[in-house]
Amino acid sequence: MKKSLENRIGAGYSFLAPAIIFYSIFFLFPVIFSLLVSFKKWNMLIPFTKAPFIGWKNFLDLLKDELFLMSLRNTLLYALLTVSITLTISLFYAIMINKAKFSVFWRFIYFAPVVTPQVAIATIWGYLYNPNNGLLNAILRFFGFKGLNWLTDPSTALFSIILTAIWAGIGGSMLIFTASLKNIPQEYYDAAKIDGATGFKEFWYITLPLLKPTLLFLSATGLIGAWQVFDLPYMLGRNAPAKSVMTVSWYTYETAFQYLRMGRASAGAFLLFVVIFVITLIVLWIFRKGGIKGYE
Amino acid sequence: MKKLLVPILILLLIFTSVSFGKTKLIFTVHWSDYQVEGVKDEKGNLVFKGLKQYVEEYMKTHPDVEIEIRSVAFDELLKKIIIDHTAGLPSDIYVLYSLWGVELVRSGILDEPSADVQNAVRLLFVKPAVEGATIDGKIWGVPIEVDNYALVYNKKLLASAGFKKPPRTWSELVSMAAKLTKRNPDGSVAYYGFAFLAGWDSAVVHPYLALLYSNSGEFLTKDFKECLLDRKEAIEALDAELELFRKGGTDTSASVWNFPAGKVAMMIMAPWYETSLKIGFKDKYAETVGVAPIPYLKKPATCGYTWFIGVDSASKNKKQAWDFIKWMTIQTMPNGATRMGELMAKNIGAIPPRRSDLDKFPDELNDLYTATFVKELIHTIQEPNVAQGQEIKTILMREIVEAWNGRKTAEQALKDAKKKIDEILKENY
Repeated sequence: MKKSLENRIGAGYSFLAPAIIFYSIFFLFPVIFSLLVSFKKWNMLIPFTKAPFIGWKNFLDLLKDELFLMSLRNTLLYALLTVSITLTISLFYAIMINKAKFSVFWRFIYFAPVVTPQVAIATIWGYLYNPNNGLLNAILRFFGFKGLNWLTDPSTALFSIILTAIWAGIGGSMLIFTASLKNIPQEYYDAAKIDGATGFKEFWYITLPLLKPTLLFLSATGLIGAWQVFDLPYMLGRNAPAKSVMTVSWYTYETAFQYLRMGRASAGAFLLFVVIFVITLIVLWIFRKGGIKGYE
Repeated sequence: MKKLLVPILILLLIFTSVSFGKTKLIFTVHWSDYQVEGVKDEKGNLVFKGLKQYVEEYMKTHPDVEIEIRSVAFDELLKKIIIDHTAGLPSDIYVLYSLWGVELVRSGILDEPSADVQNAVRLLFVKPAVEGATIDGKIWGVPIEVDNYALVYNKKLLASAGFKKPPRTWSELVSMAAKLTKRNPDGSVAYYGFAFLAGWDSAVVHPYLALLYSNSGEFLTKDFKECLLDRKEAIEALDAELELFRKGGTDTSASVWNFPAGKVAMMIMAPWYETSLKIGFKDKYAETVGVAPIPYLKKPATCGYTWFIGVDSASKNKKQAWDFIKWMTIQTMPNGATRMGELMAKNIGAIPPRRSDLDKFPDELNDLYTATFVKELIHTIQEPNVAQGQEIKTILMREIVEAWNGRKTAEQALKDAKKKIDEILKENY
């Protein structure tokens, strides 16, 4: 009996082994290694073992670096605005499309940006934002307004990038909302109608509470992704003053691979990890307050 | 079958022994396909040799050496050199931007050339290129490309505004740029009098350094212990740039990349941009493009940078690697030119840094575009080879862009740059 149990445990671990090995090599080891790097002054050009240990200096230097603090502020702003606005608009579109004819067609149209590479999106939006020949300024000027320096003016550059990110992100969230909406039983709405509920009350008391698990999932994954954002700000914001558009991932990349300050870059990556972890916990706490209701 | 097996095995043995007997060198560059493979016409005939043809020529005359060319994008080159070296699989030979040299030398990644190579470089190459390959007083490779900056202008746009000549001084440039900037009725800019490019460090820092040097200023002390950007000359130089913005000669949305579209009247550019201009203006190129020295504040000056070729200290075939480098860059062909000089002038479109190469390619180096850059070599001051050079350059770029955007005065921007740069210098010198 005991031997049979041991065999079964052994078999279990052997099935788990590929995943454990994979995660150990490609996740656990890099995480532990970069934590060690964050306490050293290392430029990758000398052996890691010869790099001097400098304690918390990398972390302290980061907290004194105005550019890092501004990149934290920019990333926070980017994350909060993109996630909240994207979710609001995509929920609105999902509800509209759910009731509309040709919903597959509309889903395809709104989902197209999600499968478009970010580099292509950045290039196209770069043309749209061109202050002299771009479409957006042409529209503004047509209505008698002054054109904007969308991507070079420090007061508009980050918001222009956020606008692009919202446009690019709506489709993905909308698709998940549409799937969740289809799962809400029609009986709830029928019963509410009998009780005299209007469209808004149906949304507020039935749709929204039952979409809470989806909202939790999209908020948590959206915030995690937004905190790690690199490509759009890097591609669109390079001509703007760095303090107005730089994100933490961009800062980390530049510090590591252009300045070869691997220790400081790793410290930045760890601070980013802590921030994402705390924010994810807060999101979980907010959504779980009062329980997450399912509908089955 | 058995009878065949023995000769096949013998042949295999000969083949493998020949292969194993060869010394294999890996040569990493950042050049594009045509620069490696050669420029070919529509029928596929070779018009200008690329690196590959020179390497093949070398391998023919040196059958014991096999050279593999690896080409990566410019942005990836430094990462590749570092990662390959760290992984114990270094390229034997690579080309390097001089700004990266200090970190590679201090970490022992670059092999020190022999005395004859160092002497040849000191003796045969132009001054800015020698300075580019010099780190802490020693030569660490052979310069292959020297770049400097000049004023590139659109002759037609200048003529249409009544200007017969390009500006000679900076104040002339400021006043001309304001007159050359034309707006559409809706307020958008149709033509820029002058263009910088805010997001590219070289396009921001190098023109500023040129202006600083022309104002008799200095960037860093000779011993790299202090940044001198808080001095009067430095502040005046940035203020001179800001005058262009204040007078409406440019703005932060202007871009040098719009010059080939005929939308920019003047810009400060490097020699390697010639091909893009020829492609952009097609048959109108010669009648449109003009080149002049950078308009100065007190005296003519321009900024330059260098690419040099070196050997990895972990290479197992250093002697063979240096022999190949000498064959490419120091030994001359029957016409008196070096092979690298020919490759630079005829294919890559850069100025060869060896003095004797400069008069060997008149069609390429004395044409309407490159001639001014070659003449300006005497006024060229090399970008300093300082530790954390890339970081210092980016810091300066960002502070200049802050001033361009009106978020800081010239004095405040340069004071902030100096503070950050001094911290880096203190860490390294």
